[in-house]
Amino acid sequence: MRKKTSLAVAVLMICSMAGAQEVNLADILSNHYKATGLGNLRKVNTITMTGTIIQQDAMPVKIIKMRPDKYLMEFDVQDITGFQGYDGHTAWSTAPWSGNPKPQVMPDDRAGELRSRGDFDGLLYNWKEKGHSVEFVGIDTVEKTPAFKLKITKKEGGIEFYYLDATKFTILKRKYSRMMRGQEVAVENYFHEYRMVQGVLFAFTQVTYFGGQLYNTLQFDTIQLNNPVDTNSFRMPVR
Amino acid sequence: MKHILFSIFAAFALLIPGIGSGQEILQWRGFNRDGVYNETGLLKTWPATGPELLWAFDSLGNGYGSPVITKTNIFINGETDTVSYLFALDLSGKFLWKVKYGKEWVLNYPGSRSTPTVVDDLVYVTSGWGQVACLETRSGKERWSVNMMTDFHGTAPRFGFAESVLISGNTLYCSPGSPDTNVVALDRFTGRIRWISKGAGEITSYCSPMLISLPQRNILVTFSKTNMLGIDAKDGKLLWSYKQEGEGVDCQVNTPIYENGFIYSVAGNGNGAFRLQLSDEGTKITEIWKNGRCDNLMGGFIKVNDYIYTSGYEIRQYYTVESTGGKIVDSVKFDRGTICFADGMLYLYNEKGQVGLFKPNGPEMDQVSSFKLTRGTKAHFSHPVICNGIMYIRHGKSLLAYKIK
Repeated sequence: MRKKTSLAVAVLMICSMAGAQEVNLADILSNHYKATGLGNLRKVNTITMTGTIIQQDAMPVKIIKMRPDKYLMEFDVQDITGFQGYDGHTAWSTAPWSGNPKPQVMPDDRAGELRSRGDFDGLLYNWKEKGHSVEFVGIDTVEKTPAFKLKITKKEGGIEFYYLDATKFTILKRKYSRMMRGQEVAVENYFHEYRMVQGVLFAFTQVTYFGGQLYNTLQFDTIQLNNPVDTNSFRMPVR
Repeated sequence: MKHILFSIFAAFALLIPGIGSGQEILQWRGFNRDGVYNETGLLKTWPATGPELLWAFDSLGNGYGSPVITKTNIFINGETDTVSYLFALDLSGKFLWKVKYGKEWVLNYPGSRSTPTVVDDLVYVTSGWGQVACLETRSGKERWSVNMMTDFHGTAPRFGFAESVLISGNTLYCSPGSPDTNVVALDRFTGRIRWISKGAGEITSYCSPMLISLPQRNILVTFSKTNMLGIDAKDGKLLWSYKQEGEGVDCQVNTPIYENGFIYSVAGNGNGAFRLQLSDEGTKITEIWKNGRCDNLMGGFIKVNDYIYTSGYEIRQYYTVESTGGKIVDSVKFDRGTICFADGMLYLYNEKGQVGLFKPNGPEMDQVSSFKLTRGTKAHFSHPVICNGIMYIRHGKSLLAYKIK
């Protein structure tokens, strides 16, 4: 009942905000690009993010992205460092805390997630050229904030939902599903604490839920643009 | 009159570590192992960027153990390539020497765990795989060593041995944790066995023990996997035990505190905080209260007057427990981590690398200043040490010295 009420309020608010004009996908995305500084992001070649991931322990984390699609995450489990990487072709990971120090090629279902993270400008930019389809499917609320709900059907398969703040046009939430131990589990990312870095908007806090349960919190201390990065660092190490 | 003066001196001496025993023991969490540092004139606020960083030493090797500070040196453990090293620095942070003393734990949370114990010209260290060594403070030359696994059939707990050994008089106490050898007492000059206590016959639970001195006896108080143990320090006789019944129990890391006939503890794994009354002769305990909501795992706790200040684990915040009744009476959001006390102020170091200066105000902890560490490696687990107006914080491979006076 409460959910229905807040949804109705959200619809009313958005209708009044849009001057009763029809809300359409092109406008939502255009506003989203503008709000997040996409024009500035297009001039950026690398992003280096450092912070802490809280998943039981609070452990250091470093994420490096390179245009157009390279991704590397360095993180610690039990204070032992592991990596997840995508070099534009191969998604790979290491998990030395499991007893196996060798890098492994990621299975397809997990590789898709890494490819999404590697998309430098985000799934919503140039989605047609990338082969995805995006639909505006309605109005919802995220933590009481009215949000436009977008459905993304990815080129390689898989569906994601993005919830964009109806007034600020930032991404509040991302929802998708992932197979875990043979079962499909809903994954939700919530994005908070947006801050501008050289004209580009970043969420400095990301909270992730698996199956409705808090999984981890990612808090960035620093986000730096255009740091020099060696392309080879994204490749799966040969060991 | 003489008798009165002597009595006053004796009572006074018992209150001040190092006088009663004639020994100055530099060790884990201060003279009394209670996280209280007897300093005065410390800063009551810090600049926004934190107190002045006097120096940093960035080549320690991995680890979580704290340093001990003597009149001339700093001793601290570190791991490199699975080897345990004892490092000696001078008081300006200059490297003097390092020596290997054992094999270090790297299966999880790789790095040295324990804090050295220094008595006169000898320093005692423990490795994650159970090596206990006595080394000379001047050179690091080994006097003797034993291994708690090979010499006493001990079993390494799942995060490795983490005990900072306790010394009293000429005796060193450590916890191999085998069915027959729960705790042992060794001659601190030779490593020879003084006694072996079967205790509860359990593996160790990372606790660095403490000693209660009563007129009748000295009691070694420590934890094994599921029990707090009270052992007669003279002969190893188990005087009493107190069952820990939490779920998945095996991490009883924090050193208990004894004060005026009561033992206080804050333990993880659902056992919570508790207060026990110790009988006059030390042979019996009575539970006064227990609060399962207190779930600090390894950050230690501080008792000031009627309050216990500590950190939560599942709920990432610090909180205050009223020490006579055991109720949580206040909390403050500062993530979770370690805590110590000096000159009327609480020093909090959380797992996000923030260091906070808090003023205890009855049940409340009032935040005065905080800053974030910008040097070091890996997890923020260590306990700060305060000595001669300097706050020492170990962050992985780095030891940082901040001027707080």
